[in-house]
Amino acid sequence: MAEARLPEPTGPMVVLIEDEPQIRRFLRPTLISQGYRIVEAVSGEDGVTQAATRQPEIVILDLGLPDMDGLEVIRRLREWTAVPIIVLSARGQERDKIAALDAGADDYVAKPFAVGELLARMRVALRHAAQSAREPTDSTFAVGDIRVDLGRRRVFVSDAEVHLTRTEYKLLTTLIRHVGKVLTHRQLLQEVWGPPYADQTHYLRVYMGQLRHKLEVEPARPRFLLTEPGVGYRLVTE
Amino acid sequence: MADEVVAYARDKNVSKIVVGKPAGPRWREVLFGSVVNELVRKSGDIDVHVITGERETPPPAGSGARPRAADWSGHAGAAGVVASCTGAAWLMFPYFALSNLIMVYLLGVVLVATRFGRGPSILASILSVAAFDFFFVPPYLTFRVADTQYVVTFAVMLVVALVISTLAARVRRQAESARERERRTAALYAMSREFASTRGVGDLLGVAVRHIGEVFASQVGVFLPDAGGHLGLGVGSLGRPDDDTSEHGVGQWVYEHGQMAGLGTATLPGAHALYLPLAASRGPLGVLGVRPGIRRAFAAPDQLHLLEAFAGQTALAVERATLAEQAEQAQLRVESERLRSTLLSSVSHDLRTPLATITGAASSLLDGADQLDAPARRELLQAIHEEADRLNRLVNNLLDMTRLESGALQVRKEWHPLEEIVGAALARLGGRLGDRPLTTRLAADLPLVPLDGVLMEQVLINLLDNALKYTPPGSSIDIVAGVDDGQMRLEVADRGPGLPPGDESRVFDKFYRGRLAGTGRGVGLGLTICRGIVEAHGGHIRAENRPDGGLAFHIVLPLADKPPEVRIDDG
Repeated sequence: MAEARLPEPTGPMVVLIEDEPQIRRFLRPTLISQGYRIVEAVSGEDGVTQAATRQPEIVILDLGLPDMDGLEVIRRLREWTAVPIIVLSARGQERDKIAALDAGADDYVAKPFAVGELLARMRVALRHAAQSAREPTDSTFAVGDIRVDLGRRRVFVSDAEVHLTRTEYKLLTTLIRHVGKVLTHRQLLQEVWGPPYADQTHYLRVYMGQLRHKLEVEPARPRFLLTEPGVGYRLVTE
Repeated sequence: MADEVVAYARDKNVSKIVVGKPAGPRWREVLFGSVVNELVRKSGDIDVHVITGERETPPPAGSGARPRAADWSGHAGAAGVVASCTGAAWLMFPYFALSNLIMVYLLGVVLVATRFGRGPSILASILSVAAFDFFFVPPYLTFRVADTQYVVTFAVMLVVALVISTLAARVRRQAESARERERRTAALYAMSREFASTRGVGDLLGVAVRHIGEVFASQVGVFLPDAGGHLGLGVGSLGRPDDDTSEHGVGQWVYEHGQMAGLGTATLPGAHALYLPLAASRGPLGVLGVRPGIRRAFAAPDQLHLLEAFAGQTALAVERATLAEQAEQAQLRVESERLRSTLLSSVSHDLRTPLATITGAASSLLDGADQLDAPARRELLQAIHEEADRLNRLVNNLLDMTRLESGALQVRKEWHPLEEIVGAALARLGGRLGDRPLTTRLAADLPLVPLDGVLMEQVLINLLDNALKYTPPGSSIDIVAGVDDGQMRLEVADRGPGLPPGDESRVFDKFYRGRLAGTGRGVGLGLTICRGIVEAHGGHIRAENRPDGGLAFHIVLPLADKPPEVRIDDG
C-alpha cells in the first residue's frame, strides 16, 4: 500500500504513517517543498514495514490508526531503531500523548496544527538525532538574556550571575540537553530527582516555578520555559 | 333475602345468578324455607344456576391453637364467676329471699357475657341454674327438687340468663369490632400519611411493604411487571416462595386477570401467599403478595377487606407517583428538546459563517488566482486561517459542553501553582492577545492548589477569550489571584461595557450572548463550560460589574487543608 514519490534526493527521508487521506494530501506537497523525501503508509503494519525497509531519518505517526494502536507502532519501532518519531494526536488526549512520549516518541503535534509547528518539531528532532550521534560539544547555552556556562556550572541573566540550587541547575541542564523537545513530567522527575519521585509532579512544578522566577522576566508569561498542559515542559529558543 | 338478590339483579341487568347448594341441615330448610327455592321462583327471566358449594373444612387442630386457649380460659372464667356468685349467695342466703339470690347469678352471667363472650356465658347460665338448685333449693346439696314449682323458676332463670348473655355478648362483639375498625382505620391512615411525605415509586412501595407487613404480621412483596408484562419481585420479600415458579404463576395470573388469588381464596388456594392486584385507573400496576404467619389469617372477610383497602391505597399512591414522574420527565423532555433546537439553530449558524468564509475565500483563490495581486491573496489566506481557527474553537467548546453534560468529564486533580496555569493559558492564546495591555498580579506566597491543570487552563482561556470578544481593542485585562479565608480567589477583569443589570448570573446560561452578539462571535457556551469546570472542582464562579467600569469574573476554589511538602534544597 505504500506510495512512494521520488523527490529531491538530498533531503532527509520521512515515513508518514497516517490513514486520513486529507492529512496526507496537504502534508505531502508541504514536506516535499521543504526538501524532505516522503514515504507514505496508511496503516501501522505498513508503517513498521516501511520504516524497516526505507531506513528513514524521521517518522511522523498518527496515533489513531485503524489497524493497531499508535503506541504499539512506537514500541515495535523502538525495538530496533532510535529514529525520531513525531506523533500527531487530537486535542484532549493528554494521556495518549504522555503514553506515546513515555513509550519513546520524541515529540507531538496536536491536530489541528500549523505546518510551521510540525516543521519546527521535525527540525528539533533531526538535530537531536544528529547530536546524539556526535557528542555534544557546546559548553555554553544561550537563549534570550539567559546564558548558561555548562563547563563552569554558572548561569547569567542579562550578564548578572544568578544563583541556582543544585536541583534547579540539574532541571535546567536536563531541559537544555533536550532543548526544543517536550519532556514529560515523568521523564523530568526520573532524570532530575530519580525514579522514586516519578509521580511527585508537584516537586517538578514548584521547582519549575522557582526556575522561572529566577530566569524569566515575567514568570507568569514565560517565554522560554514553557508548560505543555497536562504533559510536561519544553525549553524553546524563540 | 331472595327478594333483594332478584331486585339487585334486575337493577344491574344481570342475566344469570349462580348460587351454592344449601349445606345446612334439612330441618332448617323446612322450618325457615330455602333461599334457593325462593330465588328460583322469583327470578322470572333470569337464569339461576345451582352449584355444589364446597363445605369449608374445619381448621386443623394445630392452626387454631390461640382462639381455643382463649375459649378454655373463658369457660374456666365462667365457672369461676359462678362459683363466686354461689359464695356471695351463700352469705346472703340466711337474710334474703331466694329470688334475690337469682339476681346475684344473673349479675354473674352478665359479667361473664361481657368479659368472655357467648359460649362461656351460656355455660355460666347453665351452671348458675345448676348451682342454685344444688345449694339453695330444698332439699339442699342435691339436684333433686322438692317443690315442682321450682322447675318454672329454673326455666325462667335459664331463659333470662341466656337472653342476657346473648345480648351482652353482642354488645361486646360490636364494641370489639368498633375497636378493630378504629385500629384498621388508624393503620390505613398511618400508611397514607407516610405516602404523602414519600416521593418515588420505589420508596412508596417500601413504605407499603413495611406497613402491610406490620399490620398483618406477614411477609410482603410487591411484584412489578417488566416491559413485556412479566412480573418480577420489585420490593419486599415473601421469604421462601420467591423463586417458586408456581407461586410466580399465581402472581402472573392475578396481574393478568385483575383478581385476587392464592392462599385463602377460591382461586389457586394452594399457594403459599395471597396475591392481590394493585389496580389503578389505567389497569393493574403490579401485584401485592402477602404471606401471613398463620395460614388462616385471611379467612375472616374483614381481614381480607382491610388488606384490599391497603392494596387499594397503595395502588392509588403508586399511580399518583408514576403520573407525577411521567409529568416531570415530559417537562424535562420538552426542556431538553428546546435546548437541542436552540443548540442546533445556534450551532448551524455559527458553523456556517466560518465555513462560508473559508469556502468563499478558497474558491476565489482557486478561480481568480491570476487576477488577484499578492496582498489580496494574502488577505484571503489570512481569512481562511482565522476562520478555521474559529471553527476549531467552536468545535472544542461543543465537545467540552457535551462532555460536561454527559458527565464524561473527569477531573484529574494534581498539585499546581496557579502561576503555571495562568502562564499556559496566556501562551495558548498567544497571538490573539495581540497588543492588549495585560497585567497579572499573583500573590507571592500562593500555595499549591489541587486542580486539573488542563481544565482550569481552559477556564482561563474561555474567560480571556470572552474579554477579547466583548471589550474594545486596546482596553486592559487584569488577572489577580490571592488567598482569602482559606480559599483561592482568582479574578479575570476587563474594562469593557460590563453586563446589563440582572445579567450577572444569566451570563453563565447556555447560549447567553452579550450585547455585542449578532456579529456571531460565539455560541454562548464558553462561560457555561467555565462554570461547569469550576463547580466540578468544588468551587464557584460569579460575574460582577466593576465599580469603576468593566466586568470581573471571580473564581473561588477550595484549598486543601494540607498541601504536600516539597523539600527545597539550598545548595
